Order: sequence, then structure tokens, then C-alpha cells
Amino acid sequence: MSSPNNFIGIANLPNQRHKIVSRKGAHFTIMVVGESGAGKTTFINTLFAALMREYQNEEKRFQKQLERTVEIEIIRAEIEEKGFNVQLTIIDTPGFGDYVNNSDCWVPIVEFIDEQHLNYMKQERKANRRNIDDMRVHACLYFIQPTGHTLKPLDIEVMKQLGSRVNLIPVISKADTITRADLTAFKNRILDCIKFHNINVFCPPIQSDDEDTTRRNTAIANAMPYAVIGSEQDVVTPDGRRVKGRQYLWGVAEVENEEHCDFKKLRNLLIRTHMDSLISTTEEVHYEDYRANRLTKEGRTDDDPQVRKLFDAKMKEEEDALRKRFTEQVRTEESKFRKWEQELIDERDRLNKDLEAEHSAVQALKAEIEALKSPVQARSPRK
Amino acid sequence: MAVIRRKNLKKGLNFTIMSVGASGLGKSTFVNTLCESAVFDKKDYSNPEQAAVEKTVEITPVTVDLEEDGIKLSLTIIDTPGFGDNINNERCFNDILNYIEAQYDYILSEESRIRRKPKYQDNRVHACLYFIPPTGHALRELDIEFMRRLGSRVNVIPVIAKADSLSPAELVDFKKRIMEDIEYYKIPIYNFPYDDEIDDDETIEENNELRALLPFAVVGSEDEVIINGRRVRCRQYPWGVVEIDNVKHCDFSKLRYMLLSSHLQDLKEITHDILYEQYRTEKLSREGVVDLDSDLPENRLKEEQLRREEERLRERELKVRAELTARQNELLAKEEALKNLEAKLSSQNNINN
Repeated sequence: MSSPNNFIGIANLPNQRHKIVSRKGAHFTIMVVGESGAGKTTFINTLFAALMREYQNEEKRFQKQLERTVEIEIIRAEIEEKGFNVQLTIIDTPGFGDYVNNSDCWVPIVEFIDEQHLNYMKQERKANRRNIDDMRVHACLYFIQPTGHTLKPLDIEVMKQLGSRVNLIPVISKADTITRADLTAFKNRILDCIKFHNINVFCPPIQSDDEDTTRRNTAIANAMPYAVIGSEQDVVTPDGRRVKGRQYLWGVAEVENEEHCDFKKLRNLLIRTHMDSLISTTEEVHYEDYRANRLTKEGRTDDDPQVRKLFDAKMKEEEDALRKRFTEQVRTEESKFRKWEQELIDERDRLNKDLEAEHSAVQALKAEIEALKSPVQARSPRK
Repeated sequence: MAVIRRKNLKKGLNFTIMSVGASGLGKSTFVNTLCESAVFDKKDYSNPEQAAVEKTVEITPVTVDLEEDGIKLSLTIIDTPGFGDNINNERCFNDILNYIEAQYDYILSEESRIRRKPKYQDNRVHACLYFIPPTGHALRELDIEFMRRLGSRVNVIPVIAKADSLSPAELVDFKKRIMEDIEYYKIPIYNFPYDDEIDDDETIEENNELRALLPFAVVGSEDEVIINGRRVRCRQYPWGVVEIDNVKHCDFSKLRYMLLSSHLQDLKEITHDILYEQYRTEKLSREGVVDLDSDLPENRLKEEQLRREEERLRERELKVRAELTARQNELLAKEEALKNLEAKLSSQNNINN
């Protein structure tokens, strides 16, 4: 309870902080995950109102060999607005979910996230930690296909894995495919799935001193998953306005129109209002969790044993499969040989029996001859 | 043509279509739109536990009676829920391929009967609509693999699903790239073939037009709205209304006309004259190999085995008999020799006596 005369000046600290932060700038890393053609590149370019990322060059699609891998692509940019700098890093994941067999396609992504935490940890421990390169992912946008139905098995598996490591924000891309009514039902089903499978998605803080802000925050939180439309082009609506949107024969779907999609809310979440919250959650919660896990497993000094572990696991799987196949083949060959053996033995026995039969026939005949001979001999001594 | 149509008028036609594609692409809605009635019910996706379960492909045929241009049409539509929905989709091609080949096998066995039935149920699939998701990029591995494997057994007609998510310019590019992919990977599709010598100019032009539209951009809806006094099937968005039957908005009406009127016969003929014949040739020339699926070759193999065994036994019989006769002859010869000896002895005896 300090009266104006006892004004010490501590309340001025936030202003000072503000100056420090504006000088230092911020690091912000966003990752986008989703099948190709989901609209990730367009979204990023729309979000930052700049050609952050080149569109995939379709002409080259025949040249690239189908290796069926998921790649991690890093794009760095520096954005400046009203004197404030942001070092922006965007992580794209081409190849995710694009193949016939998408087993384990989330592994490179999950490994990358963990690697960044590990990297930061190592740099923190160094004696000179002035220039830490911080690429810890602050927000991961997962693009859900606008089927209108529900989440797919792949979505559920991947979101589970991501949600425990990073701020996961589910996004419904190409929302201009779904009608209003269908969209609400779709969102509800997705939320049911998320709850049922215990998927950890990012919950933006709602409470604030200002009532307006609280209301806005509630609206943002309730709009998850965010249905977005992306476009960098300016088009003219039927009633003459110039907006960013997609022009169809039957109308213009506007990006910044809250009736059309949730783009504005998502932009607020990512940049205008909750960027700080995203950064602090990553640093205070996810990084600390990772660090705690790591340190309790202390003692291992190999670099990145997880990579090898996974590699080993995959190799083991293949090894086991090969071994099984091999033993099976050996077994079938063996049984074949044994059958042949048996057949030969049987034949031999059969022939032996025949021989015996003949032998006995011969013996019988011999006996007959003897019998014939003896009367002859019996006759001759009559000489 | 007119004579054939008159015949069909009385008999009624039957036609089978299969719709294949990942779930959520609007296949059921498309079928309902095509038949103008709720053929397939809306599926229930409200169970979150079911969402994580990996499913196998179900083949569900449903028959609807339609009337097109005064001709009665018995349309069978086969839906394939579960295709392409799992994390690993390598097995889903086989389920569909097996179904198509099973229908061919049935026809094959009916044709090979000694007494053939004059009318048997022909369940062969005449057209397979493959739904491509509107990514705007190009064909995915799943699309390429499926169309390649099935293109040689059934008429595959590629269709762009939910085409109202693409702007006109994007749609043109997408179609171009898909056709490039189809050519590059040599994927066999139904591309409205015509014969320069037999067909008239009108047919040739029509086929070329339809060929240029491939793949068909489709939008489906069962909702109707009254616009300017007429009932219009459409999809309503906050920014506009997409009309299903408007040729400028999508290719639905052209596809419907092609499928159920103008090219129905052609699709059936190609299925019977080319695809079925190809399957038949391949299958019959594979005879003698153990085929675990069908009965006929197995029996034939058993017969062959028995025959071989019989031959072997017969050979052995002959051998043994030959040996016996040889031995008998030997013995006879020896007997003779003995008899001669005897005779000599007795004659000697007589002489001595």
C-alpha cells in the first residue's frame, strides 16, 4: 500500500523489460505437419504475409526417386515490424503421410523435436553460452484433412506422439470444402477423439485482467481445431472489396472473414496474443520435462542414442522377419527332402519285396527241379 | 443403334459401378446424387474409439432401379469403405482386385459348363470410379498404385472429388498434371476410345470432348434449395452456392450422362470383349500351376497324379511279369535239358541192360 509519495519505481520494471526484449528480439519456431497438398505452404505464406516458402515444384516430380522417406526442411527468416525483430524458423515435413505404407512416418519428426531439446541442453551446459542456437519448436501445427468425418488412425497416432513433446495445435486446412453445419459436427467429433485418446493439445490461457481479453481468449480457445483457408492473392469480392481470398465462380472465400474461417483466431494464437505463452510453455514445460527425463537416465555419454535405438529397432524387425522367412524355407526344404527319402525307402522296400517274391518263386522252382531230379537219380541206381 | 435401344427398352439393362477412394472424399454422397435418392446411408463417425481402429476394405454392393431416357436400368453400385484409411495400406488393393476377379471367375465357370444356363447373373464391374483427393498437386503413390493394378481388369475412370475446393485455374492445372502422371506411369484408364474408320464424326468429336474433361471434377450434394423458382441441388457456403448440375461449376452432369446413357454400352462391351477376354486368356494359360483359390485345376492335377501313378504301377507289373516269364522260360529250358538227360540215362540204361 504505497501512497504516491512512497513511489519506489519498481512498477517501472515491465517498461524496462519491454525495452530489453524489443532490443533482443525473439526466436520463434513453428513446425507444420501434414500430408502433401494439405495447404501447409500456403498457410505459412498467408500467416506471415510473405513468400516464406516456395511452392513445391511439380515439374520435378518425375525426377525425384520415390524414396518413401519423411524429410525435415528448415527455413529461416527474419521478420521486422515496428522496430521489433523476430528470428523465425519454419520446419516443414515433406513426405509425411504421402505413401501407401506410412508406418513410423512420425518418427523423424518426433526425433527432430527431441533433438532440439537435447541440443539446447548441451549448449546450456557449456562454459560459454552466449550464442545459443535455439531451435526448440514452440508450436506444431497438425493439418487435418477436411473429410468432414473424424480423425484417421494416422492422425490419432501422430498427435499422441507430438502432444506429449510440443505445443500441438490441430488445424483443419482447406476449410472452404466444408459447409457450416458439417464443420461444427466435424469439429465436435475431432474434439471427442482428442479427449477419448488423451491427446495433449495446446490450451491457450484464458483468464486475464481485462474482460475483453478474456472474452477474446475464450473465443480463441473454443474455436479449436482451427478451420483455415489460405491465400496470398488479393481478389475482389462481388461487393467490391479487395481482400485476401480464394475466388470461385460462385463467390469469394475470404481469409480474414471470421464468418468464413478461423484464420484470424489462429493468427492471434500464434502471433498477436499468445506467442509469448507458446514460447514460455515450451521452455518451462516441455523442455523441463525433457530435461528431467534425460537427467534421470544419466550416465549415457553417446551422442543421440535414441537414433541408434530406433535404427536398431527397425533393423531388428527386418532381421527377425528375414530370419523367420529363412527358417521357414529351410524347414520346407527339409520336409521335402525327408519326403523324398521316405519315398525312396518305400520304393526300395517294395522292390525288395518283389525280389523276395521272385526269389521264393525261384526257390520253389529249384525245389521242383530237385524233386524232378531225385526220381531220375532214384531210377539210375537200378543199373 | 436405334434397334438396339428398342430391344433394351423392353429387356432393361443392368450396369455395375464401383466407387473407390479414401473415406471422406464424398463417394457415398456422389452415389446418392447420381441416383437422386439415398442409396447409401450417412455413416456414423461419432464413436471416437472406432476412429483409431485399422479396418479392412468392405465390399458392399447395392442395387437401384432407375429410368434413363425411358430405359429401365438396374444399377448396382459397389462401395468400398476402408480403402486407403489405414496407416499401412498395402493390403487394400488385393481385396478389391479379388472381388473383381471373382466375378470374372464366376462368368468363366458358367461359360464352361456342359449345359449352360441361358441367363446367369452378370455381376462383373463395368466401371470403376476412382476418387482423387483435391490436393491440387499431382497423383499420390496410393492413386498411382491402385489405378495401375486395377486398370487392366476394369474400366477405371479417374474423378476429382470435392472439386469445389479448387479454383478454376487450380482445377485446370491439377487436371493437366494428373493426365501427365497417368501418361508417365502408363496407367490404363477408360479414355473414351474411338475408331477413326468405324465411328462417325459426331461420335469422334463427343469422345474427344469427354477425353479432354478427364479427370471429371465432381461435387456431390443431396440438399436441394429453391433458387429463382427452380429446385437446385447445391452446396451452400457463406460466400456462395455451388450448383451440382451447372456445367460451369463442375463436371457432374456430364459424368452422369456419359456413365448412364451415352457410354454405358461401350463400357459394358469393353468389359466383356477386352478386359474379360484378357483375364480369361491369362487364367487359362496359367493352368497346371497349383491354384489354391479355384477348384478346377486342383482336380485336374490330382487326376494327372493318379494317372502317373497308374502308369508307374503298370510298368512295374509288366516288368515283373516279363521277369517271371523269362524265369519260366529258363526253367522250361532246364526242364527240357533234364528230360534230355533223363532220356539219355534211360537209353544208356537200356543199352547197359
